Order: sequence, then structure tokens, then C-alpha cells
Amino acid sequence: MTTIIAVVEDDPDQRENYSDVLTAHGYEVRTYPDRPTAEAAFNLELPDLAMLDIMLGEDMNGGFDLCMQLRNMSSTLPIIFLTARDSDADRISSQRMTAWDYITKPVSLEFLVARVHALLKISDQLQTAPAESATISVGSLELNENSMLVHWKGQPVNLTLTEFWIIESLTRNPGHVKTYDGLSDVTRQGLVERNTINGYIRRIRNKFRTLDDSFDRIQTVHGTGYKWEQDST
Amino acid sequence: MSADSARASGRPAGAKKSGPTVPAIRPGLKIRTKLLLLVSFLLVIPWMGYESVREMEKFLLEGQEQALELTTQGISSILGNRSELFDSEIGVPELAGATLPNLIKEIDEPLAIDAPAESWAEAVGDMVSFTGFGLYECGPDYRPDSLAVRHAMTIDSTMIFAYFEIDDDILVFRNPDLLSLDTNDQIRLTIQKKSGEILRYLLTPEGPGRLSVYLMKSNWREVVDGEALRDIAGTIDPDDYGYAVKLRIPIAFLGSGSKLKFEIVDVDDNQTREIRQIISTEPDPFLHKFGSVRLVTPALAKLIQPLYVSEANIMVWDQFFRVRAQVGSVFPSIREGFGRSPDEQSFLSSLEDRFLAFFEWILRNPARGMADMPTDSSREDRRLLNKVIGEGVSLSERRRYGDAKLIVTASPIWAAGQIQGAVLVKQSANKLLTLQYETLQRFTILFLGVFVFLAFAILVFSTRLTYRVGKLQRETEQAATAEGRLLKDRIRAGARSSDELGSLTRSISALLQNLGQYTRYLEKLPDTLAHELHNPLNVVNSSLENLQYNHQELADDKHLQRARNGVGRLRSIITSLTEAASLKEALTQEQEQAEPINLPDLVRSCVEGYQAANPGHRIIANFKDSPAQIMGVPDRLAQMLDKLVDNAIQFGTPNGLIVVNIQPSDESVDLVIVNDGPPLPPDIADRLFDPMVSSARDARKTHLGLGLYIVRLVAESHRGAVSAQNRDGNRGVEVTVALPLIVNR
Repeated sequence: MTTIIAVVEDDPDQRENYSDVLTAHGYEVRTYPDRPTAEAAFNLELPDLAMLDIMLGEDMNGGFDLCMQLRNMSSTLPIIFLTARDSDADRISSQRMTAWDYITKPVSLEFLVARVHALLKISDQLQTAPAESATISVGSLELNENSMLVHWKGQPVNLTLTEFWIIESLTRNPGHVKTYDGLSDVTRQGLVERNTINGYIRRIRNKFRTLDDSFDRIQTVHGTGYKWEQDST
Repeated sequence: MSADSARASGRPAGAKKSGPTVPAIRPGLKIRTKLLLLVSFLLVIPWMGYESVREMEKFLLEGQEQALELTTQGISSILGNRSELFDSEIGVPELAGATLPNLIKEIDEPLAIDAPAESWAEAVGDMVSFTGFGLYECGPDYRPDSLAVRHAMTIDSTMIFAYFEIDDDILVFRNPDLLSLDTNDQIRLTIQKKSGEILRYLLTPEGPGRLSVYLMKSNWREVVDGEALRDIAGTIDPDDYGYAVKLRIPIAFLGSGSKLKFEIVDVDDNQTREIRQIISTEPDPFLHKFGSVRLVTPALAKLIQPLYVSEANIMVWDQFFRVRAQVGSVFPSIREGFGRSPDEQSFLSSLEDRFLAFFEWILRNPARGMADMPTDSSREDRRLLNKVIGEGVSLSERRRYGDAKLIVTASPIWAAGQIQGAVLVKQSANKLLTLQYETLQRFTILFLGVFVFLAFAILVFSTRLTYRVGKLQRETEQAATAEGRLLKDRIRAGARSSDELGSLTRSISALLQNLGQYTRYLEKLPDTLAHELHNPLNVVNSSLENLQYNHQELADDKHLQRARNGVGRLRSIITSLTEAASLKEALTQEQEQAEPINLPDLVRSCVEGYQAANPGHRIIANFKDSPAQIMGVPDRLAQMLDKLVDNAIQFGTPNGLIVVNIQPSDESVDLVIVNDGPPLPPDIADRLFDPMVSSARDARKTHLGLGLYIVRLVAESHRGAVSAQNRDGNRGVEVTVALPLIVNR
């Protein structure tokens, strides 16, 4: 059975490019230019993964509306926002709708395929074998690579795929500095500016801090990068 | 050199606000001062009032003068053709010696020569004092207690009664044994007949009681006739201070037109019997003129009595310049009491008094001017009469004596074609002026009230106006930052007011709203642009990737590579744009995240990172690790340092040296980044820290000129300032960021 990927994108060139590369990697791609056609299709059959642009023609938040509809139909469907909009407000909206990932354009197709692949794998894991022993513990942090689930002091932290990869990368060698270049690779977005990395770290810290005011494990090494500080106990 | 250095318009603590350049302001007055100056023009009104009252005064005085002229002419025509009134034989000789201010009183009952001195003193009324001061007869050793004379006369229908009170320390009577007559206290009477004949009479006492009277020769020693005269009767009554003398002279004895004078001769030494001093009743002993004798004609006096004019003096003179009748006085009958009683002098009333005094000083209360009115003006009167009687014309003139004003009119009296005399009427103008003064006073008080009220109203109005303008100005200034960023798009103060200021406020509000919309559009422009660019960029990027994926043999194709490089540069431009655009907002939000930072630690750590990341450059931290604590957001400070070092690398020579230095001072710390390389281009030196300003000439490198703009934004959000200047000898550029230190209290 082939994996169905739904691509909702109003720009035909980008839509076809995504479709081409994903088809080339063996996925069955269904493309929709706007919300009504996508909605109608989703009502007939759910895809295995959905890639949504937020702005669909005149419909400023069409992607968000579709995301809500999909989430109502399936709580485990991987949803990726692939958008030109890079505001914190949009990222928070996507998080609230439990989208799995938020990628800003321009995206590298190579990395896009990698992300799709990773997400599908996690989705598979979640559906077939719930939370098995792939959990890594770093102090109060628990990290499940398969299910992309992160717990801090027993409480789940809702991270996107990129954020998860950053945490995973930082905690792989606690106490060691992860450079900007290293973190840039981890995000799997191609060339990433320092400021973008700083933005990711800021959002991650904020997410932890909503659970725990005194969270200070992620330390800045100015000019170089970040490191995960080990629990002192 | 000035073009070689540049200082950005940062805002360190206490720095001056640098707004857009304002044209030079001309020095001038504030609105309130202007309005008050305008009000002060109102002071012209009292001046105009003063002038018009003065004009009115002139007019009124002319009216008064004309009225007086008419009166005078009226009197003169009444008296015209009645020569019997001016008959020289009719009338009473009235006065001898000095001119007397008042006419001699006429009594009905004759005074008895033996009556006590007190009854005479009472009958004659006010007396005139004669002293020897300055007079030749008395000499320099004159003392008033040695000799002083008080004298007055009165008349009835047939007699002249003369009364003397003489102060004399030693009374020396005549010694009958001595022949000479000038060896004792005596009174000499000189009569000048109308014909010019002079008769001298000696009145000498041998003791208290009757005086002996002799007709004397001109040397006053020999008698003309040894017989004592009976026509003139006199007595002497010694008293405590000297003696009193009563004299009775028949009018017929004198005849009309006579003049007479008295001399009081004092002898003090009983042995030597020398004349010590003489006091005469004539005005000036040197002139040897006799005092005039006024002939009062009772019929004339009765005739003009009903012609009484208020505060006027009417005199009838005959052709020989003798007063024939007189009625009225120029002085008001009752002096009005201007002096306030000195009791109950509260502060307020004394203030009021002072104000009134000032007021009177300014306006010259004419009632006070009455004090300057002379009691005797016969000399001027004579001068006027000379003309009137001489030329037969009516004349009038105004006289001023200090503040006193006198209107004098004179008109000749005709009788059968001959001038018989003249009527002279004097009236004080001060009464009229008093009315004018009261008008002025009322007007001034009214005006002062209006002026004070107006000034107060305008002061209140202008204060309110200034306050409103000031508020509008403050709000307008607060509506935008020094960099021109709008903080609000509405002015609230006075926007609902219906006047021009309110409409100005609304205009500014509208302007701000439009500006705000435009600014928001501009601020959103990079974001919108980035968003719009991202999509086509994504098309290009994904297409290139698909192309490479489908044609693996093209992986090393140079054109494909160049296309990808181009995409990369486009992408970095867009990222820079969005970074700068969102930074301002982010910095404002992060203000509360500021924490104490030891700047050397942060910088050293960053510099280590740069060394690792840029092996092609030598980046050196050249400072000691002495603590320099500042308040700041570490990420943003690191971002700022990133940009500074990027900039230093980009505009420095390849493999050049970049030195990062920290120089703490008392209140701030300077972060200095020095590179080797070309100096600052003079044309952009001033705008170096403004967005989109760059001197990058390498087309292959992306440089939007946003790096130093970000540096400035971060520095300013930390209340710091940035500046850039060339190194000595133009070997490179030195960028300095001054940040305030945490002040230890």
C-alpha cells in the first residue's frame, strides 16, 4: 500500500515541484490548490500525511482551517505547515493545532523529503507500537526518538519536529557545546542563519518555561552555540 | 577630517534628543507676552481721556471767561453814566500805609476814645503786624520784643479809628522839661492831601492817657504851631508788653483822596533819649511813597452787593486807581477738609491714602491749588487796569499762581464819554477744575477697573491658550520618537474643542493617522516583500533541486551551481530584511528580559566563537577581564557583536587584524571594534548607522546595509550610543558602542 501525501498549495509551480520530488521518492501525492477542493477530498479519504500552506489564494488562514478539520478527523495524522509566513503568532497557532512541523519557505526539497520520511516513521510508530523503550533520559528530561515525545519532569513538552531534533542534538552530549553550524545541520533546512537558530532556542526555552519557571538547562555559549547543562544532582 | 568621522544619533542617557533638523527659530515673544503687550495698548485710553478732559478744560475755561466778561461788562454798564458814584468827594478814605488785604470794616456806632483797648481791638478786627525786620530804621540789632506793631483801622460815617498795639520793652514818656520833641516814644502821622500837600502830626504822650498832637515841620523836631490840635484825638494805654494807642481822625479833616502813614518811634533810654528804631506802616521806606487810601463808596458797595458771584471778587475802581467798592472773594467760602483724621489708620487705609496721594500728584487736584492763590494781586490788577482805564477797552486774562488759576476780566465804566473807572472781576478757575478733576478721577477708577479686568481676562485666556498649545506640542512631540517612529496616531488634548486650535489638533491627528498608516505600510513592507519573494524563490529553489535530482549528471554543472548561489543570496537578503524589520518590535518586547551581564565575559566568549568560525581572519580580544557590569539582553548583545564583527570582516582587508576592545569609564563602557582596511567613505559617513546604507562594492556579496543599523537598534535599546571613525592614518575603521554601566548605589 502506497503512502498518500496531500499537498495543499495555491502556487501550481511549487505544488508540482513538491509533487515531483515526493513522487520520485515513491509516495503517492495528491495536490489541491485551495481549501474547498482539499476539504472535499479529505472528507472522502484521509491522507497519511498532509503538507499545508497557510495562505491559500485569498483565503488568508485556509491552511489553519484545514489543519483543524484534519485534526478533528484524526489525532495522529502528521501535519506539516510549509509556509512563507515566519511570525511567532503563526508558529504558536500551528502549535495549538498540534501540527507536527512548521517549515518556512524556501525549503530544500532534499530536507523536505527527509522530514516527511521522519514524520511518517513516527506516525507509524505511534499507530503500531505505542511508546516502547526507545526512551532516553537525560536528568529530568525524557526523550522518545520514535514517538518524538519529550517529557520534562514527567510533563509532556509539545515540540515541533525541528525543535525536537535540536533538543535531541543538544542532549546527545550534555555539557558539550553544540555549534551554530552543527545546529544548522540538525534543523535540516539548508543554510540557516544564527538568528534563526536563536529563534528556535528561544521558542524551546519558552515552551519549557511554561511548564517550569526555573528551566535553565539550555545555556548560551555566545558566539559559538548552545549546550545542554547536566542536572547538578 | 570632519568628514572622516561620524557619530550616529544614538540616545545615551542624558543625550540630547536629535529630531529632524528644525529651521533656525527667530527670537520672539511668547503668545502670552504678546497678548499682554496688546492689552498695554489700552493704556492709550486714559491718555486720550486725559487729553480730552484737558480740551474740555480749555473749552470750559473759555466759557467761564466769557461768562465773566459778560458779567463784568454788565456791571460796568450798570455803573455807567452814574458819575455821582465816582464823585471824588464821596467816599471814605480807608487805609493808610501798607496795602491791606481786606477792606476796612465799617462800623455803625462810633468808638469812644476812652473806651478800653479791648473793645477797640474787638471792633477793628484782624490786625496787620509790622516788624522791623529788614527795615532801615531798626538797624541790624533789631529785636521783636524791643519793638513790634500791630495795627488796624475802622471807620464809621464821620471818623477813622486807628488802633495800635505796640510791644515795647521800655516805655519812655515825654519829659515836659525838655524842649525837644523827639526824645520819647511817639507816633508820627503823615497826611498827603489830594493836592500833594504834606502835613506831619506828632502824637506824643506825657503819661498814660491823652496824647498831645502837634503839627510839625519836616524835621520832626520843631512845631509849626505851638498849639495842640484838637481835631485828632488819641490816648495811650500802657500794658504788660508795651502800650496800646487809640486814634480818632475825622474824615473831613483828611478830605477825599488823601493818603496817610504812621510811624512808631521808639526811645528806650531815659537818659540819652535817643531814637532807637522807627517802624513805619508804609510798604517800603526807601520809596517814600504813601500807602494808597481806598475810598469806599457805600452807595457803590450797596449797588454791587447783589451781584455776588460764587468764588469771585468784584472790585470797582475809579479813574485814580482807587478801589471804590469790593464784594466777594476768590476763595471758597468753606474750605473742604481734605486732610483725613489721622486716627484709625489701618494698613489698608494708609495704602488707600498713599494711592490717593499718588493720584492727586498725577492729576494735580485743583482744590489743593487754592493754597497757591495769592492774597494780594493788586500789582497785576493795576497793570490790567492801566490798560482798561487808559485805553477804554475790556480785557480779560488768565493768571496762574502755581496750581491756582485765576480768571480776571476788567471793563471800563463810561460816563458821558469819559472813563470814570473800571470793574475788575476775578474768579478762581479751580472750582471748575475741581469738577474736571472729579470727572477724571471717576473715569480713571472706571478705566483702572476695566483695565485690570481685561488684563486678568486676557492673562487667563492666554494662559489657557498657552497651556493648550503646550499640551498639543507635548503630545505631538510624544507622538513620534526621535527616529521618527510613530508611537501614537491620535492627539487627545483638546481634540473636541471647536476653535482653530481644536481643528489644528484634529488636523494633526489626521496627519498622524495617515502617517501611521503609511508607516505601518512601510514597516510591513519588508515582511510583505519577504513573504511575496519567498514563494517565487521557493519555486526557483525547488525547481533547481528537481532539475538536479532528475539529472544527476548536472550536479557539477557550473550554471546550476551559480543559480543555486544566486538563490542563496536572495534568501539571505530576505532574511536580513525580515530580521531588521522584526528586530525593533522584538527589542521592545525583550526590555524586561534585561539582566546584569559582565560584558568582558560575553565578548570574550563570542570572540572565541568568531575565531573558530573565521579562520581567515585574526580576531583578537584585547582587554583585561576587569568586570564591567551592564544591564542587557545577552542574545541581543551577542547579535550586535556578530554584526560588528561581520562588518569589520567584510570591510577589512583579507587576513587583516580585528581587535575587540573594552574600555570602561566612570558611567559607561566602550566596546570598540577596530579593523585594518580602507577608511569610511565620506559620502555615507553621516548615515552609516541608518538602514540600507552601505559602501559595499563587491556585487557578489550580499550587503543591504542593515548590519550597523541593527547594531544601532540594539545599542539604543540598551540606552547606548554608537559611533564610527577612521583610525589614525586611515589604516582602518574604529566602531565604538558606548553602553551605560550599572551604577552601584
